[in-house]
Amino acid sequence: MDLQHLISSFNEAVFDTDRERALRLVREAVDAGIPPEAVIFEAVIPALEHRTPPAGGAVELSLAQHFMTSQIAADITEELVPQFRRPPEIIGRVVIGNCRGDLHTLGKRIVMGCLRAHMIECHDLGVNVPPERFVDEAVAHDARVIGISAMMVHTARGPHGCLKVREILSERRLEERIKIVVGGAAFRFDPHLYLAVHADAWAADAVSAVPVITRLLEETHP
Amino acid sequence: MTTSVERVGAALRGEPSDRIPVFCNLLDQGARELGLPLEEYYSSGAHVAEAQLRMRDKYGHDNVWSLFYVGKEAELLGCQKILFAEDGPPNVEDWVIRSHEDIRALEVPADVASHPAFREVRECLRILRREVGGRVPICAYVTASMALPALLMSMEKWMELLFLGPPAVRDELLAKCHQLFVREVAAYRAAGADVLLYSNPFGSLDTVEKGFFRERSLPWIEKDIQAVGTEGVVYYCGLSRVVPVLADVLERTGLGAYYLGPFDDVARAAEIVAGRALVCGVINDIQLIDCSPEDVRSEVRRIVEAGRACSRFLFGTGLMPYAIPEPNIRTMMEAAFEFGAHEPRRSP
Repeated sequence: MDLQHLISSFNEAVFDTDRERALRLVREAVDAGIPPEAVIFEAVIPALEHRTPPAGGAVELSLAQHFMTSQIAADITEELVPQFRRPPEIIGRVVIGNCRGDLHTLGKRIVMGCLRAHMIECHDLGVNVPPERFVDEAVAHDARVIGISAMMVHTARGPHGCLKVREILSERRLEERIKIVVGGAAFRFDPHLYLAVHADAWAADAVSAVPVITRLLEETHP
Repeated sequence: MTTSVERVGAALRGEPSDRIPVFCNLLDQGARELGLPLEEYYSSGAHVAEAQLRMRDKYGHDNVWSLFYVGKEAELLGCQKILFAEDGPPNVEDWVIRSHEDIRALEVPADVASHPAFREVRECLRILRREVGGRVPICAYVTASMALPALLMSMEKWMELLFLGPPAVRDELLAKCHQLFVREVAAYRAAGADVLLYSNPFGSLDTVEKGFFRERSLPWIEKDIQAVGTEGVVYYCGLSRVVPVLADVLERTGLGAYYLGPFDDVARAAEIVAGRALVCGVINDIQLIDCSPEDVRSEVRRIVEAGRACSRFLFGTGLMPYAIPEPNIRTMMEAAFEFGAHEPRRSP
């Protein structure tokens, strides 16, 4: 197998959300001598990027397709990164969690799978996370982005979610250093809601979250 | 004077009445109506019934609800803890299923009607039936076999089992959820519910891709509907889009009513249904929190006018967020009545 064959076959497997085929192809490629770095950076990450909807375009992937795409990427990253000749360069760190009162973990998991495949380090804070903890953990991990997931309207808009995280960042003069990104169903039904809760950005789905978070990481100042 | 039951009945048959029916799904607002915290409010079927009746008197919509919160179904299967908020819907905090062994051990109550977790729902239905039975449609919410596991183990773990887990374990859970679904429908009907909202996000292509829908979701939908019949059952995908599957579901189940998602194209739904079923056009009620009265009217008008292509049409809301200001609820209702009048009294 050569790299071009891997890229086209892997794309098809991801499109079909066929995890077993995707994993088999990757293992065959490594066995055939393709470096794990090339597998990740030239096949896996581009396959994820192909799934990014065009700017302003409709999101056509189903939730299950997002889940499987992320799962495939996460499984392969976990398997291949330890085989890299040198540890990969991390392009940034993110802390991510469900805000206070929110227990819906699926979206967070899908986002983390996609971010990790892009070499963005993720620290999962879990569910029902108090606003202070988002900031404390971001500082502790030197994370430049806080990801807040909120499935429901009242958790997205409520005083113990993004609004409070913003207030704490402001009080501690951390707004230049740490940015906030939000996501979840409530934001998909109201694309302007992220502004109302004082977030820096939002993403409609996990695949779109990667370029949004990458941009925020580039914008922050130590 | 036309009653709500007559109005909805006329819409289902494609016959004229005074106006299109309007379903307004007010749940958590009931606590505010009675001045109670949500947890106290939901502890009593009498509270829920009283608030439903008061809100129906206040706004004049064409339905009342026996739904407390969605996690009630998990309580029927052993959920011990619900997380209550001050300003939004309660959520399941205690997952009934944490391992595959829990699925094997899961026991479906033989008689839902006598289950302690159904007692207050039954009381709510008793009061609603006594007060408005036969005049106002009484709604119940029943989760489809394929969607119920998300309430028992979280959506994340259900996706994992559904797409990556052992098929035998997955199928055992689906079979048990189907069993509960059938028994729940029987209990609701016996207690007086007229309209059964059949809730199934896995019945939308927003959740699963088309191949999976046809091979896996649709057979379970057919199984559910064949087991309980179509009487009063409304197809609903949890505000996901219905139109892309409408033709398949209509053909395979014969269901007579479809509650669209806010992002569905009502005119396209009308084309597909071609007078064979009721279409419910749904407003994006999350945007009602912030938008102006003019925007509310304009959006209602857009949906109602699109619905004129349907010979059988109903205007509806999602599960109205608690934060929607009361004036916007009133504006929405008044606009729906005005634009939905069959001899419209149009404002300039």
